[in-house]
Amino acid sequence: VHEQKEYGIWRFCAWMGPLFAAVFIYFWGWLGHNFPPFQPDVPASDVAAYFRGNANSVRLGMVMAMTFAPCYGVWGYSIAKVLERVVGKDSILVQLARVGAAWTVITVLIPTSFWLTAAFRPEALPDWQIQMLYDMAWLLIDLAYAVTSVQMFAMGVGFLRDKRAVPLFPKWLSWYGIWVGFMFIAECIMPFFRSGAFARSGILNFWIEFLIWLVWIPTVTFYVLKATRRLEAEDAAG
Amino acid sequence: VTQAAVKAARLPGDPGVWIFIIADCCAFALFFLLFTIGRIGNPDLYERSRLLLDPTTGLLNTLILLTSSWFMVRAVEGARAGERSAVTRNLALSMAVGAGFGVSKIFEYSHKIGLGITMLTNEFFTYYFIFTGIHFLHFLIGLAVLAVCLAKARQDPLDARYVTWIEASGCYWHMVDLLWIMLFPMLYLLRAV
Repeated sequence: VHEQKEYGIWRFCAWMGPLFAAVFIYFWGWLGHNFPPFQPDVPASDVAAYFRGNANSVRLGMVMAMTFAPCYGVWGYSIAKVLERVVGKDSILVQLARVGAAWTVITVLIPTSFWLTAAFRPEALPDWQIQMLYDMAWLLIDLAYAVTSVQMFAMGVGFLRDKRAVPLFPKWLSWYGIWVGFMFIAECIMPFFRSGAFARSGILNFWIEFLIWLVWIPTVTFYVLKATRRLEAEDAAG
Repeated sequence: VTQAAVKAARLPGDPGVWIFIIADCCAFALFFLLFTIGRIGNPDLYERSRLLLDPTTGLLNTLILLTSSWFMVRAVEGARAGERSAVTRNLALSMAVGAGFGVSKIFEYSHKIGLGITMLTNEFFTYYFIFTGIHFLHFLIGLAVLAVCLAKARQDPLDARYVTWIEASGCYWHMVDLLWIMLFPMLYLLRAV
């Protein structure tokens, strides 16, 4: 009975991943004017005008994004539970996958607080200061990529060690995750550009980078739920 | 489909590695598209910038990578035949020749930077430095992967598991070639119409 209850919690935690992604896209992205962001070379007055004209939307967007940020970490813990069944409870890979997800929460919480600061009293702030907070938040959220890469690499390496005939977690998805963690390196060039493909709003550094991550979250969730069902059935069969 | 056909159609290495390779090739395909769009918009700038690159170095790099890949093929064949000395010898040669690409690229980058040309000089050089830079990173990872293959070849049994390992590494190493074979003509050779 106790085990069955645990699997229920695993499933609940796994659903936190897609929930995080949905909240993030709508509240942080849409309401916060971050999906896509202002191109870095637009005048400060444009950014400031948006924050002054839509202060309440941005506030709501960031408040919700901050409230739901821990869902990403909770989701990461559900993945780590499945990973434990592949590499063992004491494996450092499980710990790294867990901590990578937990740290990712911080990389969302801190920049969202900067956007929230810009929206808190935008009428009293000069244009350049609002622009600076907006830039600062973007530089942090993009350049913190390596934290999430830790989670992706640990999960990838761990799940690839699965010796089962049909692995608990598909190998192609492990490789895809490793590739995404690796592709994030492109964020390193983002601070050097204010327009074009490599700017924070560009085809590579925004559209591709966010898309490959946001597609990964629900895909991983689907397979974690599937693996959980399988482990539950194996336990029931004794 | 007969069993023989299934066997013949088998992908070398772990099928999962191919996801990495395909995803990576898609990313580079996007890079090539970006470059092409930029070039259509400003052919003069691209032509003037291209002439600042040395095609001989580019060709040398191509030959280095192809030679290194040839040794890699021989190492894979050695592993399939279970000949440990052929595997270690060819892997070491593949790495030694391949390392020449790194040396040549470092010279090329320092020369450009010495002339005051960086990734911020113009759009052509932005693409040049970023695309070849990301490719260089792939190359470094490839060298590390080959080093792991070599270490494993020295101590592990050359069983089916090892063959999968070395095949997958070989596929990755050939991808590093393939991407360079696309980058070289696009950056160094493609003339303005």
